[in-house]
Amino acid sequence: MSGRRTVRNTGRRNARRPLDWVLLAIAVLGALVVVAPLLLIVLNSFKSPDDYNQGGPLQLPSHLYFDGLTRFWEASDFPTKLWNSIFISSMVAVLGVLVSLFNAYALGIGRARGRLPLLVVFLLANMLPQEALLYPLYTMSKAVGLYDSQWSVIIIFTVIQSAFGTYLLTSVYSGFPRELLEAAEIDGAGRWRSLWQVVVPVSWQTLSVLLIFFFIWTWNEFLIPTTFLVSNDKQTVPLAVAALQGEKLMDVTTTSASALLGLIPTLVFFLVFQRTLTRGVTAGAVK
Amino acid sequence: MRSTRCALGAVMLAGALAMSACGGSSASSDSGDVDTNVDGKGRTLTLWHYEDESSAMGVAWAAAIEEFEKETGAKVEFEAKSFEQIRTTASQVLNSDKAPDLMEYNKGNATAGLLASQGLLTNLDGAVEAYQWDDKLAPSLQTTATYDDKGVMGSGGYFGIPNYGEYVEFYYNEDLFEKNGVKVPTTFAELEEAMAAFEAKGITPLAESAAEYPLGQLWYQLAMTKADRDWVTAYQTYTEKVDFSGPEISYATQTIKDWVDKGYISKSATGLKAEDAGVDFINGEAPMFFSGSWWYGRIVEGAKFDWSTGLFPGATMSPGSSGNLWVVPTKAEEKDLAYKFIDITMSPKIQNLMGNHGGVPVAADAEAITDEKSKELIANFNTLTEQDGLGFYPDWPTPTFYDELNAGLQEVVNGTKTPEAVDEELGGLYQDGVDSVTGGS
Repeated sequence: MSGRRTVRNTGRRNARRPLDWVLLAIAVLGALVVVAPLLLIVLNSFKSPDDYNQGGPLQLPSHLYFDGLTRFWEASDFPTKLWNSIFISSMVAVLGVLVSLFNAYALGIGRARGRLPLLVVFLLANMLPQEALLYPLYTMSKAVGLYDSQWSVIIIFTVIQSAFGTYLLTSVYSGFPRELLEAAEIDGAGRWRSLWQVVVPVSWQTLSVLLIFFFIWTWNEFLIPTTFLVSNDKQTVPLAVAALQGEKLMDVTTTSASALLGLIPTLVFFLVFQRTLTRGVTAGAVK
Repeated sequence: MRSTRCALGAVMLAGALAMSACGGSSASSDSGDVDTNVDGKGRTLTLWHYEDESSAMGVAWAAAIEEFEKETGAKVEFEAKSFEQIRTTASQVLNSDKAPDLMEYNKGNATAGLLASQGLLTNLDGAVEAYQWDDKLAPSLQTTATYDDKGVMGSGGYFGIPNYGEYVEFYYNEDLFEKNGVKVPTTFAELEEAMAAFEAKGITPLAESAAEYPLGQLWYQLAMTKADRDWVTAYQTYTEKVDFSGPEISYATQTIKDWVDKGYISKSATGLKAEDAGVDFINGEAPMFFSGSWWYGRIVEGAKFDWSTGLFPGATMSPGSSGNLWVVPTKAEEKDLAYKFIDITMSPKIQNLMGNHGGVPVAADAEAITDEKSKELIANFNTLTEQDGLGFYPDWPTPTFYDELNAGLQEVVNGTKTPEAVDEELGGLYQDGVDSVTGGS
């Protein structure tokens, strides 16, 4: 009996080993593919144009060169762009989560009538290509005097992001433990209090994941900000990066430097909140 | 002043038809319209362009701003824009009260032509007459400045003023030529000899890219060596049907095929971008590079060898055109200031400054250019414009032809299709595109 088991076990282990290696190799390859463009950006950010012309994009820089970074920093007035991006993305993240929360509370926990068609409508806002929304939004924002204002971008993205947030949170909340809500009700909590003192603390992880996603998604947006933010001093970081792309020529080293500068804030943001993120994802899996 | 604006507005709104109507109702509305004496005290000109501040245009226009402020007393509020942003949002911005008074915009039917046909750009006929800019612009430069009411270039009123030009020419690595005992070609036969000589020594003579514009421009250049001006006009402005199996295009495609077979163009060009081809030349690997004058500045900065430029040997026409245009939005508030600014950028001082920084000014005095290489660049351009040799670009006629042409030529380079098959396919795609532009007529 025991002998048989050992045989089986070692057999299984032996069968697994090559597969493990293969999986590991695939994972490493996948990671390399993801990291490669990042590495290229870093590599070329510190290379002088001369160096680039002689050696191409793949060679290590012969010496560290910071002019690309400083040139972009100054030409784009980077601190202003950075502040604009942070302001817009944080406002959207906070407002988007709030709106998603209210919607999902009504749809997922409140089980409002016709919630399925409603959810579909919300999803539509997310699935429509932004190009299709552009002209109506442009006309509307001009009519209310929000064209060339950061608030137009904040409002638009709050709606778009919260559409997705509503969908996700609603499905999370429809599995929300009823007992908790009933207990709160027995204790005399109204809807408002159960929302803030039961629902929000329990689903805090999911909410913070949404917050982080909304922030990063909004940060990386290009089309709508480029349309609605006309003046240079209102524009965001991705627009500043795009400003370097010429019509026929590109300045590879400065563009890399700008991409690096544009990427660092989201990277820092991600690293800071990375623990919340992983915890939040697993929390979502709990009933 | 007020009447000027009213008249211009009327012209704009109704296009070419209204122009004659306006002229009829008020006798002096054409030339009397624009006063060249502009007092700018206490006024502001909002100006947008998307040229790099260190480029020839960037330098020249910065000087123009200074000159303008001194001359008129007005203030210039300049914003450097990105090409991408102007390209994607121009029609929205120009239709709002955020429109600038003057901006740089791309020439062409799909860009300036489209905006003009939508009524978003001011008709500049009055200003052209008052400032006599037409005297400074060669005919093939004026083509891209005028648009009809459908937005097709080449006829109708002025909707933009080009300040600089661009054209496609050969860049030769003189060191490599000398080292390998090859003569810099001056005729087409010598060009092929030179390429054969390099090939025999194991050097791929031409830096090429088929994934982007360079090979398409070479193809068009080859076609133009067999063509006359009427063919170019037909190809670009749809005045006649273009036969893609005719001598011009079949020669071009076949020659590309031959050059690939002989090893003058590397098969790997299919996957290369313009940037790759340019770097190939700049780092001294390829002896020849056929591309636009927009590379000039890069090569001045980057090339560590002796080099020279020359028009395509034996050709009287080459790909090229005016550069981007100054356009005045319909909603601009300070139109007379905008005109004045355009005029300053056309002045010899600013034009020569542009020339000395490696640009190709439209109205420079070649004598005043001190830099030897720049002189060559501008002399080549002047040669072209004097013989009416700016042939525009192969992808202009239809919005999708750029990608279609590149795809077709990639097949030729790969050897996956015969030149005849590619010509036939391109001819069909070209005709479909032209039909949709002209509404099938």
